[in-house]
Amino acid sequence: MSKEKYTSIFIETLAIEKSKFNENIKYNEIPEWDSIGHMTLMSGLEEGFGISLETDDIVDFSSYQKGIEILEKYKVSFK
Amino acid sequence: MTEINKKKIDLWSNIGSRATFGLAALELEKKIKELFVVTCDVSTSAGLDRFRKQVPHKYVDVGISEQNMIGVASGLSTEGFKVITTTFAPFQTLRCCEQIKVNQGYMKTKIVMVGLASGLVLGALGFTHCSIEEVGVLRSIPNLAIVSPADSLEVVKSLEAALNYESSVYIRLTGGSQSPIVNSEDYKFEIGKAIKLTDGDDVTIFSCGAMVHNSLEAALILKKNDISCRVVNMHTIKPVDVDSIKESAKFSKLIVTVEEHNIIGGLGSAISEELTKIKDSPKLLRIGINDKYNKGGSYTYLQKIYELLPEQISNKIIKNLT
Amino acid sequence: MNNLEKKNAIDLAKKLRKKILDLSFYAGSSSSHFGGALSSADIVASLFGEVMNFNKKNFKSSSRDRFILSKGHGCMVYYAVLNILGIIPDEKLKTFEKDSSDLLGHPVKNSEIGIDFSTGSLGMGLSLGIGLSLAFKRKEMKNRVFVLVGDGECNEGSIWESALCAPNLELNNLTVIIDHNNFQQTGSNDEIMSIKNLESKWSSFNWNTILVDGHDINKLTTALKSNNSNLPKAIIAKTIKGKGFSFSENNNDWHHKVMTNKTYQEAKEEISKND
Repeated sequence: MSKEKYTSIFIETLAIEKSKFNENIKYNEIPEWDSIGHMTLMSGLEEGFGISLETDDIVDFSSYQKGIEILEKYKVSFK
Repeated sequence: MTEINKKKIDLWSNIGSRATFGLAALELEKKIKELFVVTCDVSTSAGLDRFRKQVPHKYVDVGISEQNMIGVASGLSTEGFKVITTTFAPFQTLRCCEQIKVNQGYMKTKIVMVGLASGLVLGALGFTHCSIEEVGVLRSIPNLAIVSPADSLEVVKSLEAALNYESSVYIRLTGGSQSPIVNSEDYKFEIGKAIKLTDGDDVTIFSCGAMVHNSLEAALILKKNDISCRVVNMHTIKPVDVDSIKESAKFSKLIVTVEEHNIIGGLGSAISEELTKIKDSPKLLRIGINDKYNKGGSYTYLQKIYELLPEQISNKIIKNLT
Repeated sequence: MNNLEKKNAIDLAKKLRKKILDLSFYAGSSSSHFGGALSSADIVASLFGEVMNFNKKNFKSSSRDRFILSKGHGCMVYYAVLNILGIIPDEKLKTFEKDSSDLLGHPVKNSEIGIDFSTGSLGMGLSLGIGLSLAFKRKEMKNRVFVLVGDGECNEGSIWESALCAPNLELNNLTVIIDHNNFQQTGSNDEIMSIKNLESKWSSFNWNTILVDGHDINKLTTALKSNNSNLPKAIIAKTIKGKGFSFSENNNDWHHKVMTNKTYQEAKEEISKND
């Protein structure tokens, strides 16, 4: 399922401990999701979902939740 | 260094040379305990934010004072620290050039200097933030090696090699994020040893930094025109790999250098210095910046202006062969 | 400072001036930076005679205090003190400024004779001092670092980069001494690039700043030994360029000049009268 895949990409690319992960995480609010983490995450999502994110979307991608909205634009279904 | 695999290579390519450098420094700190980083108000720009936060006692930011940075780094080095300095290339090199001469050249105090965003990549900010001169200037300082990595994996390898090298090293980072992969798997990297990437009988292209990729693309175009090309990654501009030059001089009809630097003083000049020692050496075509500051613009725009795009490189080569 | 210490440092200052005179004569037609070496003689006597943990036994050891002659043209006072300490042999002094000598017109790094850095390009020594001080802090070593700079040298922007940096890093193991002799190469500070109020300038950069008579060894030593702050120390030493000989005091011709045999003999007579 896309949601599971999305979550696992977060956990893997940001190298977050599963126990520390929650769906409210935001960019720059946890040490793992810094600017480098962000680039790694974007890269992982592009590869995982076979998409190419636009710069504006990379910049706007400020949280797990916001990311869902953004990916839906790229026809990723979370239902 | 931790294991190098395809995932890492892809990640490093995506994030570009600067962020790769920052990550590599953090990795290397795990096994080089005397590692110390000195910067001039550039942590995020160098991918060093994590380093700064995770190992603050091995990191000092001296603010925007490059001459001071070199002195501080040199003082630390004399007390056994393995020091990396970094800031944007023009300031890492020209601003503190004399300090580099006296400390690294004359006193042979070993440090590794990493010049961020060298060449044309920051062209939209104007030429104060581009660096097309520094290799020429630094080449004339004894006891200083100069390396220009061809891709992000090479940034990782050259940083580790530089820290273990016998003298100070200046590492010139070029290109932006999404940097093309030249080395798709781990390989042996040695400062001073050029790497032959493709082979061919007609022309040899010596290149370094981000222009290696452009040279490889140019070679493909030339192949379609029945011109076979050897492309050599001359990542180390000083000391240049003399054997590699001698070998190509034996059979190539034309030797070409491609660099994101003034054709005066950089890789082209270094190779010409060697070719003049060889009797009946082939003609040398130096492709690079033609000793002019242009109006600013994007990286691609500037490569086009200076005729550094693959089609332009190949056109020049074809013209010079006829 | 006890009387024995005071006597030692004063004696050392006398010996330094004699050696500086000899060195200037050895330099011959190469000429030498006579004035700037003499203005620093009491500072160097205090440092090496009373303050620093540095001597013939420990000059290669990691525990020694460090001295950086940032005003490298003052090298004759440096070579003189290293010679008096027994680190530079007498025969070597005679090679001063000769072909292929280890003792040139500015110090050249040479651990065998106690010289840690090649200085002379003005404005660089304080940054080196910061690097050393930072290393000692990080390694939790008790070594102190002393950097001697000139007042003309304070024209260099790089000095102010360092001045800004050291207090920010709280390097209280670092001391800068400014040999404030009021002159530089082609004239007085006021004639070339006036730099008044050095004390308030360094103080405003947040250094623990002390103004002192640069020829009063007692006061110099007290200032150099004081140790009650988390900040680095700046000692503004008011000095006289060419101090010690009647012909050279405050005479900027002696910034860099040939020591003729005639002047040399007259000078030797002058100091022997003062002994």
